[in-house]
Amino acid sequence: MVTYRRRRRSFPRRKVCRFCADSSVKIDYKDPKLLKYFITERGKIIPRRISGNCARHQREITMAIKRARHIALMPYTTIQPH
Amino acid sequence: MRRYETLFIVTPDSSEEELKAVADKFQGVVTGMNGKVASYDEQGKKSLAYNVKKQSKGYYVLMDYLGQAEVVAELERNMRLDDRILKYLTVKLADQVDPATVEAVKPKPKKEAEETEVIEEEAQPPEAQESEEEETEED
Ligand SMILES: [Zn+2]
Repeated sequence: MVTYRRRRRSFPRRKVCRFCADSSVKIDYKDPKLLKYFITERGKIIPRRISGNCARHQREITMAIKRARHIALMPYTTIQPH
Repeated sequence: MRRYETLFIVTPDSSEEELKAVADKFQGVVTGMNGKVASYDEQGKKSLAYNVKKQSKGYYVLMDYLGQAEVVAELERNMRLDDRILKYLTVKLADQVDPATVEAVKPKPKKEAEETEVIEEEAQPPEAQESEEEETEED
């Protein structure tokens, strides 16, 4: 039997969705400064189990990042995997 | 009318006159199709997250306008054919906008005027009123 050990990595976890906590923050594809908190160094979108976003706001973030990528405000990828 | 915004990138080697020409051209496309330009915001030269048409920089311009869907089609058709435009992205902001509530061209981007809705109060007595005819709606 495999025992799964719960090992919590020290990710900067957020218990509550920051957009629910502060409704004054608008999610906008024209705001790469905000969006870059939700991508990895390689430019991948961070899953919500790590970012702590709620489903609705994660959806909005994803949409905004994809739009920002399209208009070259954000990268599709940064480091070329070899 | 609908409200849209188009964010587009103009090639970085454009002169000031060329940027002006681009501004006149695309605002003209919108107004020529009975649209209304609410704002035209030149956001300056920025570096791109990846190269587009071999350029690593570009002038970002955000145009906010009202119009029917045909305006977007015509605007994007023109941008596609224009070598000065590296990329564009159109987003619909609202479905139903009364053009009278939006000021035309180059006012500084300000917040939309608050609309006060007249709420009609329905004074209903706590007891259910007897109506002469009862309508039954089936779903
Ligand atoms: Zn949320």
